[in-house]
Amino acid sequence: MARRYDSRTTIFSPEGRLYQVEYAMEAISHAGTCLGILAEDGILLAAECRSTNKLLDSAIPSEKIYRLNDNMVCSVAGITSDANVLTSELRLIAQRYQFSYGEVIPCEQLVSHLCDIKQAYTQYGGKRPFGVSLLYMGWDNKYGYQLYQSDPSGNYGGWKATCIGNNFGAAISMLKQELADKENVKLTLADAKDLAIKVLSMTLDTTKLTPEKVEMATLQRVDNKTVYSVLEKPDVEKLIEKYTKVQAEAEAAKKEKQAKQPTK
Amino acid sequence: METLLGIKGPDFVMLAADTTHARSIIVMKEDQNKIHKVSDSLLISTVGESGDTEQFTEFISKNIALYKMRNGYDLSPRESAHFTRKNLAEYLRSRTPYQVFMFVAGYDPNAGPELTFIDYLANALPVNYAGHGYGAIFASSIYDRYWHPNITQAEAYDVFKKCIAEIQKRLVVNLKNFTVAVVDKDGVRDLEPISAASLAA
Amino acid sequence: MALAEICKISNAPYMRPNAWSSADVEEEQKGLMCNLANPYTLAAPPFENPLHNLNQIQANGDKTGVKINFDHGTTTLGFKFKGGVLLAVDSRATGGSYIGSQSMKKIVEINQFMLGTLAGGAADCVYWDRVLSKECRLHELRNKERISVAAASKIMANIAHEYKGMGLSMGMMLAGYDKRGPGLYYVDSEGSRTPGNLFSVGSGSLYAYGVLDSGYHWDLEDKEAQELGRRAIYHATFRDAYSGGIIRVYHIKEDGWVNISNTDCMELHYMYQEQLKQQAAK
Repeated sequence: MARRYDSRTTIFSPEGRLYQVEYAMEAISHAGTCLGILAEDGILLAAECRSTNKLLDSAIPSEKIYRLNDNMVCSVAGITSDANVLTSELRLIAQRYQFSYGEVIPCEQLVSHLCDIKQAYTQYGGKRPFGVSLLYMGWDNKYGYQLYQSDPSGNYGGWKATCIGNNFGAAISMLKQELADKENVKLTLADAKDLAIKVLSMTLDTTKLTPEKVEMATLQRVDNKTVYSVLEKPDVEKLIEKYTKVQAEAEAAKKEKQAKQPTK
Repeated sequence: METLLGIKGPDFVMLAADTTHARSIIVMKEDQNKIHKVSDSLLISTVGESGDTEQFTEFISKNIALYKMRNGYDLSPRESAHFTRKNLAEYLRSRTPYQVFMFVAGYDPNAGPELTFIDYLANALPVNYAGHGYGAIFASSIYDRYWHPNITQAEAYDVFKKCIAEIQKRLVVNLKNFTVAVVDKDGVRDLEPISAASLAA
Repeated sequence: MALAEICKISNAPYMRPNAWSSADVEEEQKGLMCNLANPYTLAAPPFENPLHNLNQIQANGDKTGVKINFDHGTTTLGFKFKGGVLLAVDSRATGGSYIGSQSMKKIVEINQFMLGTLAGGAADCVYWDRVLSKECRLHELRNKERISVAAASKIMANIAHEYKGMGLSMGMMLAGYDKRGPGLYYVDSEGSRTPGNLFSVGSGSLYAYGVLDSGYHWDLEDKEAQELGRRAIYHATFRDAYSGGIIRVYHIKEDGWVNISNTDCMELHYMYQEQLKQQAAK
């Protein structure tokens, strides 16, 4: 039955669904995981790198995280070639705004403008939706630090922490749990980094997290300037080591507790 | 013939504009408002070729209103001035250039007051004080003499009075009446108009 | 011709035979009459870049003898007062020193509640007034409400601005009565549009202004206002060679416009002369 409706895009199925869009979302939920966390003093994006072939030239810096303009950075999950089209479109939109108004584009406008394009590809004939979800982190003088997520349907939303790609459901519920305890505590960027590593290592299919598999970038305001930095591999390594240590300690404590428990 | 005046202080911008609408040698109107309230904290004053002034000012102000409707916040004065200048520059190179001279005056809660001078060639310049039209020539030396960085609103109004008294004394064209408006942290506000009668009182 | 074909210039305009085919003529006609289908696509002056070249031709008119800077003379006036809006106009149409008509209707009845006066190029004014009345009627049908004077004048100003510099010559007043009360707008071919209490337009306007300004105040009675308008136009016809004929007075009140009088200025002249004599005799 479905075949009659999904061979062309932009047609509703009898159940009122847009299969092509749903397939695109499905494709993304198999792609490398990306997560973003909003902290008090900054914001971070972390992404899982899947192509860790030794022969790849490491001089090419980032595969998953793209700088958009002075104030914004995004990471992508999905078909990378589609993502390249979208990121260059994002950069164009940002520059066009700057050309018209002489100021950096406010974050939400950039996101919503791109989503207009994504939406168009779900409606006009002969087009295929972009198989890409994006996470955007940015700062503007209207709303400060912001984290947005957009998907192939053209929907977008602002988040405190969110995740796209493989196992995103598990990651989001973990983030929810972790941040629920800390509702009244201010989350610092350092905490956010630890949290990102924790969530990534729990949700990735591999048993052990390695620095090659993780890309992490932060965005902060320092002296009225937006500073964007990609974490170096040794720094990621340290974060992973710290996490493994904490984890091992927790494990040990748990065992000890179990041992102490009187047997019935 | 028409005259626009503008002064920026540490926390406000004040504009004045004459109110005559002339066609060849005839004064058609003595109460033409040339200072337009574009948003809660933005004023644009325009003179130039009749028709162009109204069309262009309306085009700009409606676009700025549209921006607010779309995004929920106002375009900042700097962005507004940039946008105005850019449109004017684009039209200048089209078949239908607009011959307008204007001031874009606004108050930004973060960046403070902003006064931008724009002429018909789309030169745009942030200024502390300036004028457009013949009257501005007389005003320029008065500005130079009496403006200072800590000028208050009362002082600025007084400088306008001096300028207008001089324009009415020395300029061959009769510009009877000037409207005055100010924009500061509390938004835009009309002040008492300055006329020959009010100066005499 | 084979070479022309190889060079791909056989279809170029300069390779075509000189004699126009009937198809060419038809094409040309279509271009000039496109406004019959869509009134807003009025044909521009028939040469390249009319905006620039028309100005040049007009500026050099005296030297070249090519004068399309047609002369026009008129006196029209309008003012608001407590009793509504009053319009008064002359009826002379001139082309240079030649009087083409002494019985022009320079007030166009757009609908029962709105009038437009015309000064400048008569054809331009009549044409665009007709477009405007169509537009006003459509507004009425679409919105079940009469168009306001403000909106109607805005339509006119937008048209004028669109064609600015293309040779249109208009100076009109739009007057009417709408939900905001009496309305009076001045619109011209420069594209300017402005509301006001008192306007006079045309070559005789300077004379009309003199009489009008000295006799005008808001609290005029209906009869006084009508006489003031008539007088102002009469004095303009007396002084201005391009104004004359019949003086028409219209009065717009809450329930629509009324044509008060259409009097030959000559009759008025002798009547006023008589009054003067009687005054002198007293």
